[in-house]
Amino acid sequence: MADEFNRDPQETQAEDFVAEAASHVLESDAQAATIAASMGTSKSQGRIIWEQFSRHKSAIVGGWFLIFMYLTAVFAGFLAPYGLNEYRRAPTASFRPPTQVHWIDPDTGRLTRPFVYDVVESRDPITRQRVYDEDTSTKFPIKFFVRRPSQPYKILGVFKSDLRLFGVDDPARIFLWGTNNLGKDVFTRVLYGGQVSLTVGLLAVWVALLLGLLLGGIAGFYGGFVDDLIMRLVEIFAAIPGLFLLIVLASLLRDPRNPLAQAFGLQMTSSQTYILIVFVLGLVGWGGLARIIRGFILSARELDYAQAAKALGASEARVLWRHLLPSTASYVIVSLTLSIPGYILGETSLSFLGLGPSEVDTSSWGLLLRDATARGISIQFVPWLLIPGIPIFLAVLCWNLLGDGLRDAFDPRKRR
Amino acid sequence: MLVYIVRRIFQLIPTFIGATMLAFLISQLVPGDFLTRKALEPNVRPETIERMRAQFGLDQPMAVQYVRWMRNLVQGNLGQSFVSNQPVINRIARPMRNSMYLALLSIFMLWAVAVPMGVYSAVRQYSLGDQVVSMLSYFGLAIPNFFFAQVLILLIFVTRSFTKDAFDFNQLLFPVAGMTSGNHLNMSAWGKFWDIMWHMFIPSFVVATAGMAGFTRVLRAQMVEYLGSDFIRTAKAKGLGQNTITYKHALRPAIIPFVAGIGGLLPDLVGGAGLVEVTMSWPGITPTFLEALNSQDIYIVLGLIVITTLLLMVGNLLSDLLLAVVDPRIRYN
Repeated sequence: MADEFNRDPQETQAEDFVAEAASHVLESDAQAATIAASMGTSKSQGRIIWEQFSRHKSAIVGGWFLIFMYLTAVFAGFLAPYGLNEYRRAPTASFRPPTQVHWIDPDTGRLTRPFVYDVVESRDPITRQRVYDEDTSTKFPIKFFVRRPSQPYKILGVFKSDLRLFGVDDPARIFLWGTNNLGKDVFTRVLYGGQVSLTVGLLAVWVALLLGLLLGGIAGFYGGFVDDLIMRLVEIFAAIPGLFLLIVLASLLRDPRNPLAQAFGLQMTSSQTYILIVFVLGLVGWGGLARIIRGFILSARELDYAQAAKALGASEARVLWRHLLPSTASYVIVSLTLSIPGYILGETSLSFLGLGPSEVDTSSWGLLLRDATARGISIQFVPWLLIPGIPIFLAVLCWNLLGDGLRDAFDPRKRR
Repeated sequence: MLVYIVRRIFQLIPTFIGATMLAFLISQLVPGDFLTRKALEPNVRPETIERMRAQFGLDQPMAVQYVRWMRNLVQGNLGQSFVSNQPVINRIARPMRNSMYLALLSIFMLWAVAVPMGVYSAVRQYSLGDQVVSMLSYFGLAIPNFFFAQVLILLIFVTRSFTKDAFDFNQLLFPVAGMTSGNHLNMSAWGKFWDIMWHMFIPSFVVATAGMAGFTRVLRAQMVEYLGSDFIRTAKAKGLGQNTITYKHALRPAIIPFVAGIGGLLPDLVGGAGLVEVTMSWPGITPTFLEALNSQDIYIVLGLIVITTLLLMVGNLLSDLLLAVVDPRIRYN
């Protein structure tokens, strides 16, 4: 076996030769392709896949909607009227229903620029329920592009600003989707929640991919004892029910007293909890991917091109990394896309149980839904607390649609 | 076949041991135990803590604790609960039974709804009904269980306020939390059964919708494949009716993976309902698990993990064996 680092010059030469020969073939192929294209019959692989994909209407819609959602998460600070943790102490605004936006001027009965009224809170003398009445004495028009220097924000953690898309003057407030128990604006927190809930899945999938590629690739390629060992490990992880493993790992690891946290001096700030959740999700999810990649490589290493590379003296690592793993690419892309929804649901579930990022300085859609289950809350009086479930639904739906579209586009048997 | 079964069972052993080791290792990640918290209580003497620590073996090194726990496990003893001082098995038997009820009903619902839906959308491909089914399955796939449960609870309350105004009917259509009504103990055996069924309906429905999506899609794909195959054409050519062809010739092979999958449902039977149990206060496994984790009652946590792991492995084995039984094309040697 040739050493990976001190490669035999002959090997390089041989490969160069093959590469050169291949480039000639490619050249003539390219010529053939041009001729064929001039007759309107042949297209490149990427173009075929793209055309197949763009015919998949639902996947396109899903893709665009995902772009929209990720953009709202990036520009959460600008789109939200309030700061993430902004709330008023006295008088509090807990459990405010969505603020009604008025379009019709009551004096003239004509369409006017949208405005809101200030809301006065009182208690029903019999049921002790909170009652909110609009104070119709003053109109507060909704202003666009307002500056609120008291609540600056950063976009992507870099660009500082205090410009907000819309807002109203004090003492009126605008809560498009109501407020939670502490009087924090649900609309604002849903926008900020996307920053956590939408990205955790994306990052966790990379952790799973890295582990899966590395271990699955090694297992499939080397076989024998290593293979047995790795596959046993996969089985062990798969044997423990996923939800329990997730809950145990998340709840024990986020305890700042655990030896891992102490070894790295972690305080379990919100960003550290975030990273922890990413790793826990990836750790629970890598097994399936490793198994798929191993199976792929087991079959691919017997194929002619792998044998040819080997016969030309390419090192095992080179065959693995340059020839075999790229051949799994389309399959991996599809299964990654289709596994992202699972990670998103995993994060929201953990947050829903209170095992995700903390309420204090972050937001997450699962965490917001947790507000609706707090003790002493009857959901029929605060139905707007369920709104954060809708973006979860949409994100998972769109990722599924996108994944299905990609799968069909990559699959030659499904060509239309 | 017998050799294969025996070999598979022997293969399970190292995996099981590995899983218990992993679970035990994770459970030791947090330093301190439930006694550290107890030691802070002013009315507990330090000697008592020391005695209890020795009694539970918590003063031993981790490896020793693991071996002791494992030895007990092999003898069918899951250990003692720290908090309630009862055998773990007594503490988890009831939640497991409750979760099983829930899962049984949801599996029944799943089959009762998903099979007709899958068959329909395969026979009437690209029809309006097929598109509705496929939309519903995307819906079921995308909606988080706990959120769906919350939405249904809200809907039940909204219905009540509607029926109250319209028909003077001030009752919830379905109970929204728990497993039994307040007067459950005074009910007849039959009444108790219906009471629990009544409480089970919504959570089982939620669990079933989650599985329905995948079930219907796979069944549809399978059916479409078989309906296009040669033996179906032959059946048509010899003049069989459409119903016979659909149900006897196409559905039977198409349903094979699901029949085999029944074994895989075993862990679902006890662990599946997950967050729905939490949302709807169903006294099942997941709430017990969370509570034990919260009070660092480690042996309950481990006991639940071990039992569900065991069920998962046995379930996988069962589905492989069932597959071999129902599908004559599969041969093990």
